[in-house]
Amino acid sequence: MPVNLVVNGEERAVAAPPLTPLADVLRDTFFLTGAKHVCGEGFCGACTVLVDGKPAVSCLTPVGLLEGSEIRTVELLADPSGDLSPLQAAMERHDAVQCGMCFPGILMSLTALFETDAAPSRDTVRTALAGNICRCTGYERIVEAALSVCQPEAAQ
Amino acid sequence: MNAPVIGADLARRDAGDKLRGRTRFTIDRAAAGMLHAAVRRADVASARIVSIDTAAARAMPGVRAVVTAEDAPGRYGVAIADHPLFAVDRIRFHGEPLAAVAADTFAQARAAADAIVVELEELPAAVTMAEALAPDAPEIHPGWADYEELFPGGKRAGNVAWEATVERGDTDAAFARDDVTVVESTFRVGRQNQTPLEPRACVASFEDGRFHIETSTQVPWAVRDTTAKLLGIAPSDVRVTVPAVGGGFGLKFEFAVEPFAALLARASGRPVRLVNTRRDEMQTALCRENAEIRIRSAVTDEGEIVGREAVVLMDCGAYGGETPFLTTMTAHTLGGNYRLGSVKLLSTAVYTNTAPTGAFRACNGTYNTFALERHTDEICAAIGMDPLEFRRRAVIGNRSLGSTGQVFEGDVLAPMLDRMAALKARTPSREADADGRLYGRATVVGTWFIFVGPSAATVNLNPDGRVTLVTSGVEIGSGSMMQALPQIVSDALGLQPADVTVRAADTDAAGYDVGIGGGRQTVSLGAASTAACAEVKKKILNIASDMLEADPGDLELADGHVSIAGIPDRKVSVAAVAARAQVSTGPISGNGAFTGPGTAAMPGCAAGHMIEALDLPVFAVHDCEVAVDPDTGHVEILSYAVVQDVGRAINPRAIFGQIQGGVVQGLGYALHEEITIDAQGRIRQQGFETYHVPLAPDVVPVEIDLYEGAPSIGPLGTKGAGEVPILNVAAAVACAVSNATGARVQQIPLTPPRVLGLIDGTEPAPDLSHIDPDWSANRLG
Amino acid sequence: MVAAHEARLHVATSVDDAVAVLTEAGGDAVPMAGATWLMRAELRDEPIRPLYVALGRIEALKGVEIAADAVSIGACVTHAELAGGLAGLPEMRGLAQAAGHAATPAVRAVATVGGNLAASGFAAADLAPALLAADAEVEVAGSNGTERLPLAGYLATRDQAAAGSLIVRVIVPRGDCVSAHTRLPLRVAGDYPVAIVSMNVAVSPDGTIADLRIGVGSVEPVAARWTALEEALASQPLDPEAAATAAREHAGVFAPRDGVEASGAYRVRVLPALVRRAIEALAASR
Repeated sequence: MPVNLVVNGEERAVAAPPLTPLADVLRDTFFLTGAKHVCGEGFCGACTVLVDGKPAVSCLTPVGLLEGSEIRTVELLADPSGDLSPLQAAMERHDAVQCGMCFPGILMSLTALFETDAAPSRDTVRTALAGNICRCTGYERIVEAALSVCQPEAAQ
Repeated sequence: MNAPVIGADLARRDAGDKLRGRTRFTIDRAAAGMLHAAVRRADVASARIVSIDTAAARAMPGVRAVVTAEDAPGRYGVAIADHPLFAVDRIRFHGEPLAAVAADTFAQARAAADAIVVELEELPAAVTMAEALAPDAPEIHPGWADYEELFPGGKRAGNVAWEATVERGDTDAAFARDDVTVVESTFRVGRQNQTPLEPRACVASFEDGRFHIETSTQVPWAVRDTTAKLLGIAPSDVRVTVPAVGGGFGLKFEFAVEPFAALLARASGRPVRLVNTRRDEMQTALCRENAEIRIRSAVTDEGEIVGREAVVLMDCGAYGGETPFLTTMTAHTLGGNYRLGSVKLLSTAVYTNTAPTGAFRACNGTYNTFALERHTDEICAAIGMDPLEFRRRAVIGNRSLGSTGQVFEGDVLAPMLDRMAALKARTPSREADADGRLYGRATVVGTWFIFVGPSAATVNLNPDGRVTLVTSGVEIGSGSMMQALPQIVSDALGLQPADVTVRAADTDAAGYDVGIGGGRQTVSLGAASTAACAEVKKKILNIASDMLEADPGDLELADGHVSIAGIPDRKVSVAAVAARAQVSTGPISGNGAFTGPGTAAMPGCAAGHMIEALDLPVFAVHDCEVAVDPDTGHVEILSYAVVQDVGRAINPRAIFGQIQGGVVQGLGYALHEEITIDAQGRIRQQGFETYHVPLAPDVVPVEIDLYEGAPSIGPLGTKGAGEVPILNVAAAVACAVSNATGARVQQIPLTPPRVLGLIDGTEPAPDLSHIDPDWSANRLG
Repeated sequence: MVAAHEARLHVATSVDDAVAVLTEAGGDAVPMAGATWLMRAELRDEPIRPLYVALGRIEALKGVEIAADAVSIGACVTHAELAGGLAGLPEMRGLAQAAGHAATPAVRAVATVGGNLAASGFAAADLAPALLAADAEVEVAGSNGTERLPLAGYLATRDQAAAGSLIVRVIVPRGDCVSAHTRLPLRVAGDYPVAIVSMNVAVSPDGTIADLRIGVGSVEPVAARWTALEEALASQPLDPEAAATAAREHAGVFAPRDGVEASGAYRVRVLPALVRRAIEALAASR
């Protein structure tokens, strides 16, 4: 029985075994390869997407539970014209990106944070990223960039 | 005039699509008709293979190909060709490949791989170096003497895969002096998993009798050549291309999944994808090796080190790989930092029945610097000298002799210590933040080097006046292919970085390259690119001299134009020159090459070393403040500061990013990342639940001062900046924790349980009874 | 053996439906809520079950209801919802902290109260010790109807429960007390705590302890009350150092578990510090 989803605003149906991780459906069926399947145990956060507005590790999210759910992935953040979102633009401006594998998940974790807390403190941002591993950057620029979006004056 | 591009904080051209999620890493690549592969691995550490029966697996649904040792006759190695692709006759480590399967889906491939029937006869295993070096140890490679040696000079025997020695001066006389204090220290360090987020992954296909492998690697040429060697085919029959790589850190400095996928592609006639699972990566990553170190020094009351002897055992696991080569580093890391009156160093790679180890950012240097700097602090305690004062007196300076007798140029470390003192003076101490916990601080020094070596570059001037840089360089995340190289090329040709297209690595298109690692890309690829640009520039000026009716020597190349010096209005655009070339000389291109010049060691000092002297030394000074919770053993980093020798900063902001990232990886090594191996030879940490890398709440912003101006053979005086930031971190943290707790820190990582054990006095000192206190007794006969 | 792609999923529409399907399937089926534990079965080398019964659509399992005498927490309430739902209730502060700091933000957004208590292999569950300290009861539905039992009793018998058993809700009594939850991951956050101490205390007018419950998690395979310490601290003032000293004296009651990340000895060794921190937090929140 197919599962009906709204993925990045588009109604989609997927006929995959119910325990198939959402990450695999996004990547293999919808070719949304932004979310990365990295650890498969929910600790690295590279596969983070928003399910009904809440952050979820899509590697541990069985597609069978998602009938009618609204999924948002990193591919939705930038404007369709290609312009980066303010958060993405801040990451670019701060030269935060290195290998880039963790960013799709980090951007979605931060998007989820900002939707519940428009002006988080530095510690709140850091804690909100406790489920996102970045092996390249040492995190500080990511935090700086995030703060520059929500508290432009504090980050200067 | 446009602003200078050297020293500019150029943005990354790949950032936008990485942020959009559009960048397609190797794991994101699919091909029509692609099959999925799985590897059957050994689940014991040591056994004789009685039989491997693949018949049932071949009959399973979706299975298109099964390959085994019969399909891969060759053996691979860096120093010794000891490593078959699949275990042959004998299993030497838990996780060793036995067979590989390609099927329509990954689940089918996995199921079929599990269904291969393997009959084994278990053999005794040596899973620690102490066990492997015991007199009655099982011989892990009974045929070791017959292996092909790919590099001469290292002594080998039994479970000693490689031995490298340094002997300069008379240490016996030094230790016998009556005016010296003798200090002896022992250390043990565990393994560290590189943990790039992108696992080792590839897609292989076989067409027109040649293999094409798209892979996540740092070393496209090594993958090409190793795959050919293992498969018994010509290297020219393998083409390797490399998309954006999701992190490497040394893990991808050797072949990995590629030969399996290649064999399966040939056998099935279909493209084959092979991506390691995280568990595969935990079980088989070529971790930074565990090591055991005994070091002793004879030091005068004035802080002169008149004699030093050390033994370093490096666990190479079941096969040598990079680790025998890495024995060479001890001479320059444990033998670095300080002037030594006499020195004997023994660096031994030991076979064990464990997963092979390999390269990891600042290979060998991280733990030898930890050992050396802790030993140095123990010396200071023994002779009653302030550790900073000792370092100021004893560090290598201009004309100092290195351990192998090379002569260093320039005073670098001493002025860097002054710069660190200044940095500390202008940055308030965070001691108050310790808030009742134990507070400690330490400043440590480190010696590293740029791994120079051959690189080739081609620069094509295109008809539109822009250029394409063709190399085998790979963008692994450090940004050197996206920032430094376009900056170097555009600077050389009077263009803007955006005018430089950087060709992704393709062994069919670009010349040979050792690979991306060792901090070498900006230096080696930069030098080759600079040479290629010189040829292009000469051709541009020659054609422009006809167009401007001026002598080439009077011409200047800047801002996309050639002009006559002193008459800026008399100019032609580079695009016009390129167009003219189409009808006069033909398209303009230039080739460049680079390799290390080969700095001399003192004859007779070093044996078994692949790098006897450093062409391009790099120094670093780190300072760290910690707070240690006496109730739980948790270490909090209160502050961290780095003064790093960068030669010349091409893109300072990019270097700051490398330092922050490298220091945090070092904090993981120092504090969190622990690999333990059980009695059966199995790595206990199977994923991120138990293998703890630093997370955002664990880190601090690193205070950074770039030290420019030290001697360098690099282009524009640059040195690689991406590898060295991890070098001193474990040393700085361990010395600070020792200062905070008063405990003798002899092991890392300093996990809360270990630190609490140190505070409680219950943490046992490492038992290194298998290293003889008599240095010479540890050598092979 | 069932492969993951062969497993079936039944999306239950009601508690009765879930119980009926689970009962009929016998041992072949298990309930699934947030799925973050069950989806890692293969990584733990545990078998995939032939049938999973999804509970997330059952309205009766949702919501945090705050009454005068008790808080009722639906089994499918997520950690994040629980942390939010308890905000402002001083006696629930420890439980809110447990729910708000467990695992990672993305896991807290989907992992449920019922799942946390039912995952018998998960020794480091944060909610179990917090709910033990809160004196919670568990309402379990089954083929023979619904029963209510103390959490400790549920934890002790959950592996032997009859097929079809299902946590419906957790009931936490309210009262004039304060609570605290102290946990010790090896990093600042992001890994499972190696030891947890949760406390719930009612304080007499003279400042001494009138009633104290202490839940300890992650030390033994199953979270448990630390009754020896509760008794030792009875009628004592809220003195962090004295409590830590008493904790040291009574730490011998544990049979701690060795794990890859920490030894059993370490888990017990840090308990006095966690007790001290918990008492400090309790004293501060009075």
